[in-house]
Amino acid sequence: MEKKISVKVCLGTTCFVMGSSNLQELIDSVPKKYGDKVEVSGVPCLGLCSIDWEFSKAPYVKVDDEVIKEATVEKVLSAIDAKLK
Amino acid sequence: MFIDIDCNQTKKYNQNAFGDYFVSKRYPDEAKLIAVLSDGLGSGIKANILSCMTATMLLKFIEGDQIPISKAAEIIMNSLPVCKVRRISYSTFSAIEVDDEGNAKIVEEGNPEFIWLRDNEVMKPEYESIPSKTFKNRCLKVYKIKLKLGDRLIFCSDGVTQAGLGGGRLKLGLRREGLVVLLQDKLKETPDISSTELSQYIVNQARNIETDRLAKDDISACVLYFREPRESMVFTGPPYHQQKDAEYAKMFDAFKGKKAIAGGTTANLISRELNRPITMDTTISIGKLPACSFMEGVDLVTEGILTLTKTMEYLESGTYDIDNAAGKLVKFLLDSDRILFMVGAKLNQAHYDPALPIEIEIRKNIIKKMGKVLQDKYFKQVSIQYM
Repeated sequence: MEKKISVKVCLGTTCFVMGSSNLQELIDSVPKKYGDKVEVSGVPCLGLCSIDWEFSKAPYVKVDDEVIKEATVEKVLSAIDAKLK
Repeated sequence: MFIDIDCNQTKKYNQNAFGDYFVSKRYPDEAKLIAVLSDGLGSGIKANILSCMTATMLLKFIEGDQIPISKAAEIIMNSLPVCKVRRISYSTFSAIEVDDEGNAKIVEEGNPEFIWLRDNEVMKPEYESIPSKTFKNRCLKVYKIKLKLGDRLIFCSDGVTQAGLGGGRLKLGLRREGLVVLLQDKLKETPDISSTELSQYIVNQARNIETDRLAKDDISACVLYFREPRESMVFTGPPYHQQKDAEYAKMFDAFKGKKAIAGGTTANLISRELNRPITMDTTISIGKLPACSFMEGVDLVTEGILTLTKTMEYLESGTYDIDNAAGKLVKFLLDSDRILFMVGAKLNQAHYDPALPIEIEIRKNIIKKMGKVLQDKYFKQVSIQYM
């Protein structure tokens, strides 16, 4: 069986105010588009903002092990597409 | 013993001010509590001023500790002026001073006799009468009683005992006997009901038996409930020294009461140290607050600063029953008597990025403010530990 792609949307304070609140729509839209090949979930915090703070690129999303900085719905979707190719 | 106290009121219909006044204060250092309920003559603004003056003055008198409560009440009784028209005193009052051991001193003048319930039976305490030297129709009742775990005291204004007066079913109103029956039935049904809910219940019932459900007088009910304290802990923010993570996580785990975590990093820390996975609620909360997460053995897991800030807002404005993470935290806090905040002092540099909205406050400040509101407005026992 094919391994599912996991998408983790950081919902920590920094990411949330920097735009991940809008990324939550992925929780609904991604299963509609890709079915059960992709699994989307929120996570309390990916811990990336505190490492990267000087050049903070929040919000962060993780698609498998790939970190997407300044994530937008488009960026996440194209990352998923690239994985699925 | 913990004293769960609350008062609920409704005003006389068509009035825009409460004619009864309730004030209470905890003194954590002396492990005691003082509460005063006063009913001002008439209704509306006039009654509000009279009862407010009486109650606040009596509280100040008693808390000064220079004179005993009975003496303080006697002075007030003797000096309250008489209404020219009705020839009765300007206000009536009940006051209680009680410590954590259950030693209570109660004084009453003019208000309906308080109700003391033990195992759902009405107790008949002895009292001393002190007649007023200056006014013939005034008489102070002074009680000294010893309370036990599970006891309840109910104070009310005559708006409760006279509810329904002259109406169809209850010609003489609810009266004390009617109120006792109401209370006993309710307590049989829900023996552990909180003071907040019971006082609300009394006020609602009193209003319901009034003709057209319009309160003909100010209605107030104050309930004291002596019980074991409900303890809870809120863990927020990672410790300043990372090597202490394990130690604090163990402390969190060992805590006996209810537990909440506020903060994504904090939740990860506990999850890592105690080896318990976190799952996140999948409800979407665009533009509001991040959803809650779940962890075994923890009653509530939320995001940090944003949720705390919103919680603080709700607590200050008295907004309850909101279905989001902050609303859940409000409920969590209000369901507790003793709250311990474990506050991590580590700063998240990313929060100081000027691009972030200014609502992002410093954790320590929010918790300090929250502790004060919980103590002053909700009468909780709060302690804060920084780590």
